[in-house]
Amino acid sequence: MALVLLLWLTVVPQGQILVKGTAPAASDATTPVPEEGRVAGGRYRNAYFGLTYPIPAGWTEQPAGPPPSDSGTYVLANFGIPRAFVVVTAHDLFFKLNPVADAKELLAEMRSGLESRYTIESEPAAVTIGARTFHRLAYASPVAGLRWRVLATDARCHVLVFTFAGADSAALDAAEQAMTGVSLQMTAPVCVAGYAEPQNVVAKEDPLFTTRRFNTIPVRVIVDAKGRVKHAHVLSAFPEQTQAILAALRNWTFKPYRAGGRAVEVETGIVFGMPPGR
Amino acid sequence: MRLRTVPLVALAAFLVVFQVFAQVDPGPRGGPPGAGAPLPSVAANNPVTILTFFNDAKDRFEETNSVFGTIPGEPDGGLGPRFNSRSCVACHSQPATGGTSPATNPQVADATAHGATNTVPPFITINGPVREARFKFFVDGAGNPIPSAPDGGVHALYTIAGRVDASTCTASVIQQPNFANMIAKNNIIFRIPTPVFGSGLIENVDDSTLLAYRATNPGATLGIAGTFNRGGDGTIARFGWKASVKSLEQFSGGAYNIEMGVSNELAPNERPSPNEDRAAGLPAPCRLNATPEDHTNFNTTAVGTPSDAVMFALFMRLLKPPDPDPATPGGSTSIARGGQLFADIGCMHCHKASFKTAPSSITPDLGNKTFTLWSDLQIHRMGTGLADDIQEGAAGGDQFRTAPLWGLGQRLFFLHDGRTSNLYTAITQHASPGSEANQVIQLFLAMPVQNQQDVLNFLRSL
Repeated sequence: MALVLLLWLTVVPQGQILVKGTAPAASDATTPVPEEGRVAGGRYRNAYFGLTYPIPAGWTEQPAGPPPSDSGTYVLANFGIPRAFVVVTAHDLFFKLNPVADAKELLAEMRSGLESRYTIESEPAAVTIGARTFHRLAYASPVAGLRWRVLATDARCHVLVFTFAGADSAALDAAEQAMTGVSLQMTAPVCVAGYAEPQNVVAKEDPLFTTRRFNTIPVRVIVDAKGRVKHAHVLSAFPEQTQAILAALRNWTFKPYRAGGRAVEVETGIVFGMPPGR
Repeated sequence: MRLRTVPLVALAAFLVVFQVFAQVDPGPRGGPPGAGAPLPSVAANNPVTILTFFNDAKDRFEETNSVFGTIPGEPDGGLGPRFNSRSCVACHSQPATGGTSPATNPQVADATAHGATNTVPPFITINGPVREARFKFFVDGAGNPIPSAPDGGVHALYTIAGRVDASTCTASVIQQPNFANMIAKNNIIFRIPTPVFGSGLIENVDDSTLLAYRATNPGATLGIAGTFNRGGDGTIARFGWKASVKSLEQFSGGAYNIEMGVSNELAPNERPSPNEDRAAGLPAPCRLNATPEDHTNFNTTAVGTPSDAVMFALFMRLLKPPDPDPATPGGSTSIARGGQLFADIGCMHCHKASFKTAPSSITPDLGNKTFTLWSDLQIHRMGTGLADDIQEGAAGGDQFRTAPLWGLGQRLFFLHDGRTSNLYTAITQHASPGSEANQVIQLFLAMPVQNQQDVLNFLRSL
């Protein structure tokens, strides 16, 4: 242990990012957050989304993706073989720069952005996988010899997207078939866009930033049935910004959110710093 | 004899097959430089006298500095006391003035020019890239990095000590950094010069144009989600490896002081090394000139009036973009196909082809022009493989500006530290844990070798 400590003191480790810039953080370590999925026993599990994804047979975990972006994009997992892969991404609908309502709209947006050189193999359409509705788009690049199959579904005011891509069509077929083993079972608060608007906020305290940074800071908060902030997840901020935001949110109170005639927990989004899209 | 011949034939056949079917970086494109000239409207002297200003600015960009400007042929003063090289063009010369690192590294000769007594650090070689060095962290009294104290500043390679014009700034007063120790402690990173062709066009893209492209969020389902670095006024910064510099004047003023040690109206004080800055500052015997050493010239008129820093910026601003070659290397069919593949696999999500400039008050060819730079000017997370642990503004240790690819065909060194001259290696190094480019590189590698070759040919045509 002493030797390890000595090495740490004298040599900067390689292959690590030590000066991170913006990074995610949360108000506690026990409430699940989207970026903390795990691979075990041939499955990818994500507690935040209640997602269990069986990794296609023979596919292996690929290099991890970047941390959450300031526009609410997550790379949750990436598995592959030499000529094909699947990447699982999540898109927070509270913070997406070009707003969409749901998975269906996100895929429609994606389809409209595809240039004519791509061959559309399957227009966006709803499909049922494991009793859950997904929206599916398939396209190809004849010149590149590559194909994409995109499956998107809604979860906690995010769109979860499974993108299968590569040159090995048989492997892509098999991997897409394995989606029948996917399950999404979560007990989560109701999610409501814009619940932090002034009409719902009883008391608030603005975070005191010591440095003007000009970055957008998206924050997901869970408000308990009494209107107090139960949990806050800062997707992308500098450490001193996170500290200031978490300290301020402790003093926020909301009108309790009511559903079915009773007050319940609610999850919503707040943006600090530069407005999205600026 | 026959037994020996058969395996050799087999080996030769294997090599032929390998050469046919393995993708190969065609290498720097030959022929005349596709860059270095002024914008057409500048060449046409529109508005009147702008060409005179451009030519004067180019002369200044190519001049060598000495400490007092008293050495014959080196009339500009202010060099040092610490420096990385002695002129702008020394580092920005491939394939023409305004470019990037040349084939023969001038920093080797800089070390001992005019009697200087510097030791050439091991990361500077005669055939290697021009480099500046930055330390990741400050060090303690024993020379060990302190991970809680990020440095990130440029530690100039050389001092003027020993030069015939060094005066009182001797080796007993000022020393080179201990680079060997920093290498041993993995506390040093490198940067190579960015080419400046077409910079005026980049400067004149309105923020709203850049923001509108970002809002389309292309590549989000592949995990791509860049952001912008910002200047002190909150607007989008766009120059330098991490897009931390807002304007060309800030770029030239900063570089004049950091790379050559010349204080100027944008960086008006003599620059100590970051370590000296933390301690007692620059030693008094090395403060040899009144500051700023470069300034507006009040006793002259017209073209001679602006400072060097202003004229360097003007030179960069008025350079035309590099010209691509539609047929070399590999032929026009391969290049066109490579361009389509480059788009299809998603490289263009970040290496966006073009933007349109805002109206220009300077010269017609800077205004309302659609230009092809191959960059979104955003900063993206590039993973542990490229991370340099340097924070600049909003850019963290793993974030870099999408490098504009125009002129790539005639560049010699790639990536921020010039670690490779091989374009294929540069592409594949975009992938590592934490990189936004991982999926695009997976797609690149999933393609047949001929497709990969077409992409390489396309890029070398730029």
